Amino acid sequence: MSNTAVMENQKPVRRASGRVPWLDWMVMPTLAVLALVVGYPVVYTLMLSVQDYNLLDIVPGGYVGAGNYSSLFSDPVFWTALYNTAVYTFGSVFVSALLGLIFALLLDNLAGPQFRAVRALLLVPWAVPFVVVAFLFRYMYMQNGGIVNEMLLWSGLIDHPVPWLNNAALAMPAVMVANIWAMAPFFFLLLSAALSGIPNEVIESARVDRARTWSMIWHIKLPFLRNPLIVSSLLMIIANFNDFAKIWAMTQGGPGFSTTTLVVYVYRLAFENFEFGYASATGVIWLLLLLVFAVAYVRALRMN
Amino acid sequence: MSNEETFPSSAALGASSSRTDAWQRSGKVVQMAAIGFALVWSLAPVYWMLSTSLKTELEATRLDPTLWPHEPTLANYIGLGGGTLPFVSFFFNTVVSCFLTALIAVVVATPAAYALSRAQFRLRTSIGYTVLIVRMLPMIVLLAPLYLLLLNAQLLDSLSGLVVGFTTFGLPFAVWMMKSFIDAVPIEVEEAARVDGYPRWQVLLRVVVPLVFPGILTTGTFVFMEAWNNLIYPLTFITSLDKQTLPAALVLTFTGQFKTDWGGMMAAATITTLPLMIAFFAVQRSMVRGLTSGAVAGA
Amino acid sequence: MTSIHSCRRVSALFATSALAMAAVVTAATAQEKITLTFANWASAEAATRPGIEKVIADFEAANPNIEIESEAISFSEIARQLVLRVRSGNPPDVSQLAGNDTFLLAATGKLEPLDEYVARLDVELTGLEDLRLDSKLIALPWNHAPAGLWYNKAIMEEAGLDPENPPKTIDELMEAMAAVKESQPDVIPLGLDTTNRAFSMSSNWPWMRTFGAQPVGEGATGAESPEMKAYLQWMRDLAQKGYIDPGRKIGEFRPLAAQDKVAFHWDQVLLQGVIQSTNGMSDEEFYEHWGVAAMPTGPGGESHSFEGGHQLVMFADSEKKEAAWKFMQYLATSPDAIANYTVSYNSSLPPLQEAPEALSEELDTPIFNAFRERIIPTVAPQPYGPDFAAASTAVMAGVQQAVTGTEPIDDIAASVQSQLDRQ
Repeated sequence: MSNTAVMENQKPVRRASGRVPWLDWMVMPTLAVLALVVGYPVVYTLMLSVQDYNLLDIVPGGYVGAGNYSSLFSDPVFWTALYNTAVYTFGSVFVSALLGLIFALLLDNLAGPQFRAVRALLLVPWAVPFVVVAFLFRYMYMQNGGIVNEMLLWSGLIDHPVPWLNNAALAMPAVMVANIWAMAPFFFLLLSAALSGIPNEVIESARVDRARTWSMIWHIKLPFLRNPLIVSSLLMIIANFNDFAKIWAMTQGGPGFSTTTLVVYVYRLAFENFEFGYASATGVIWLLLLLVFAVAYVRALRMN
Repeated sequence: MSNEETFPSSAALGASSSRTDAWQRSGKVVQMAAIGFALVWSLAPVYWMLSTSLKTELEATRLDPTLWPHEPTLANYIGLGGGTLPFVSFFFNTVVSCFLTALIAVVVATPAAYALSRAQFRLRTSIGYTVLIVRMLPMIVLLAPLYLLLLNAQLLDSLSGLVVGFTTFGLPFAVWMMKSFIDAVPIEVEEAARVDGYPRWQVLLRVVVPLVFPGILTTGTFVFMEAWNNLIYPLTFITSLDKQTLPAALVLTFTGQFKTDWGGMMAAATITTLPLMIAFFAVQRSMVRGLTSGAVAGA
Repeated sequence: MTSIHSCRRVSALFATSALAMAAVVTAATAQEKITLTFANWASAEAATRPGIEKVIADFEAANPNIEIESEAISFSEIARQLVLRVRSGNPPDVSQLAGNDTFLLAATGKLEPLDEYVARLDVELTGLEDLRLDSKLIALPWNHAPAGLWYNKAIMEEAGLDPENPPKTIDELMEAMAAVKESQPDVIPLGLDTTNRAFSMSSNWPWMRTFGAQPVGEGATGAESPEMKAYLQWMRDLAQKGYIDPGRKIGEFRPLAAQDKVAFHWDQVLLQGVIQSTNGMSDEEFYEHWGVAAMPTGPGGESHSFEGGHQLVMFADSEKKEAAWKFMQYLATSPDAIANYTVSYNSSLPPLQEAPEALSEELDTPIFNAFRERIIPTVAPQPYGPDFAAASTAVMAGVQQAVTGTEPIDDIAASVQSQLDRQ
């Protein structure tokens, strides 16, 4: 929706002309498929969310109106899950973006085959599947026999093995570290590309003005990175809202409910307790929340 | 951050004193050390995965882990291929379902992206945003209804059903990404073909598709990667183990009721990672273009 | 709403190309053959797959008109899959189930009652009383795998304990663990599953009962009873003293036990098979090295255990019930199946009052005898049913908070209770 706005509309479109059709046949296949695989399930979710529908019940559930929603708002686990989702998402995205930014600035202007190799190696974690990330870190985090504790004990930073994934206060940060490890390269990739897109004459003129390294970064490079940062952060926020694989394979939302995010909670409700109605109500609330972000994202795109 | 006095510039100052040289050198050293640290941070877990996959079962579960395999063995990998679990079919299932998803997404999305980029119709903007918003829906909310949909279509426990599931997020993404690639093609390129009186779909096929082919590959790869990462759909829609995908099979088979086999787990994890890595590095360059089109160029 | 018709058409577009590639090979079956579908996790795990495949092949050889189609589904997923399939009208004929999953499926009303079938048997079965729902028998016991307190004699000796005298009370257990911790800091004193899943609730239930706690079920005293708080406090003490390794699944302790890194381990009878397959111990070595006892008694002076064995169920919608029963009967009671699978691959006990002649020697081992004589009688019934999963999520979350957090026990108990009240 960006620089094309200039290209199209070269001819002023006559308002209220019957000549502009409502639709174009080329978008029909996409619309049809989306209506089927997304539209229908969304409508169905809305219908389920006002029923007391448990899959185990021999008699299908009845209409309960806003019943699911009112019990949802008094459900402490729902609020915990909402809070955890926010912490997990924004915390991971913020730190990953920062890390990706540091990597990109470190390697900016370093040419040559050896640095091309370094760039490629820094991207490796992004290509590791989420489930693998989860199991790998679970293995490394083990309290007894995990390499993380082994290294920390060896270096003297801790004197007892730390139960990373089994302590209510540590589990969330530990999962986030795994997530950040996997996500930071994405920011690094995009920000490196954005840095290389800064016109040479801008850099040169700054050089002539004897700008120091920090001021070069602060006044010249960062303004150029603002938009890519906004767009990629929003993209990753949405991806993290939906992140099921990492948390499920690492902690299943535990210990206690300390890493239960909305996605884990809904999965447990629907596919462990078979409370389809209640789970759908949770899903609807969540849909609304995501829509807010979607609108923000669309706005950010428009600004470009 | 904005403390400008910390480091001098990399530009040589008029009277180059030995002090600034020292400054510069130490700045370089710090920079290289930081790069070294970044490399260790990024690669250490991957090394650990590879090294564990070459350990015997007893070595992989030791309470005092060994830094490298003391008795390196390929047993874990051989166990995957010739073992009692159908790992070859897990691999095949994942490749087929992800590839089909990518193919369908690109084929269906390209005309729509072309129309959204070039055509004039009243619902254009709203459809563009709808596609974008669909892309952001939480997948798990669709899970139960999708299950029932596949059930009625007799597609449960089949790779086709899985492809339908993956399409929910693959297609909107493909439309959006293809549009940004087509946007980057100057409209003048099409003029000549238009003048020759070719219909629109011909222009798309003969002129636009060849031009954005790298973009098509990138989009396909991205959809492929996302499907490869997906865990929740195969867990829910596939019921028999021999039709399962790799990520779900990892979850299902290594958390058995008897024991957790970390060496075998890491061997399987390595095999799960390789195709994704190859796909990613093949297209990473144009991937950036697609993801940030406008965001970067328009800045 | 989209009609199913148009769903079908669009799906067909997907399907044609996909099906062409995903070759779904169905074995050509002769007309007169009966095909039974058997959902199980025995064939989904490398450790048991060869065993179950052999037993199935033997059954097919003995019954040439029946063919078994084994569907491998993992242990953690099978209940979810079966509930969904029962609801969608394509259940298997027979399935393997265990623990609460059996009662979860029974709640759908789609399991065939087995009383009449069992009445026809000419052998006496054990453990039927715990498989009744509304006085109907809902499942056939396939094997018994109760849990006992395994003790590693070598570690005990090293710690200056008497390896032939395992701890009999919670207090003795605490002293023994202290001695182990003192002498061998790298050994986990007690292997206990503290993950959050229905299975670990089953596994920890006997410990709660030992303290007199009964958070849910019939005659429950709730999560805020003094007994439950005492249990939670005890769990917290264990964690703080470093006696347990929180968050490991029961299966993650087993390779460590095989390396002599676990002193006492709360685990099922099948541990022996797993340890021997991991470290290659012979039977004699194993019996010299490991023993098993009933759970140490708590304030109430009683031992408790849980049944982790597997059951077989038949689905009410099956159209081949007689063939299905023939197969179930073979798996659970035939000496061949018991020898080739139950005792060997599964290292569990057969569900028979009297061991068949042919197997009397194989079943006469110190471990099997300890289980039969001292542990099986202590199995405590569990509050299984459709609400058990939600209750275990709540209770185990509380246990995890006690073990891993610093919140006051009273607050944890209160939050567990508020979760339980929501159901």
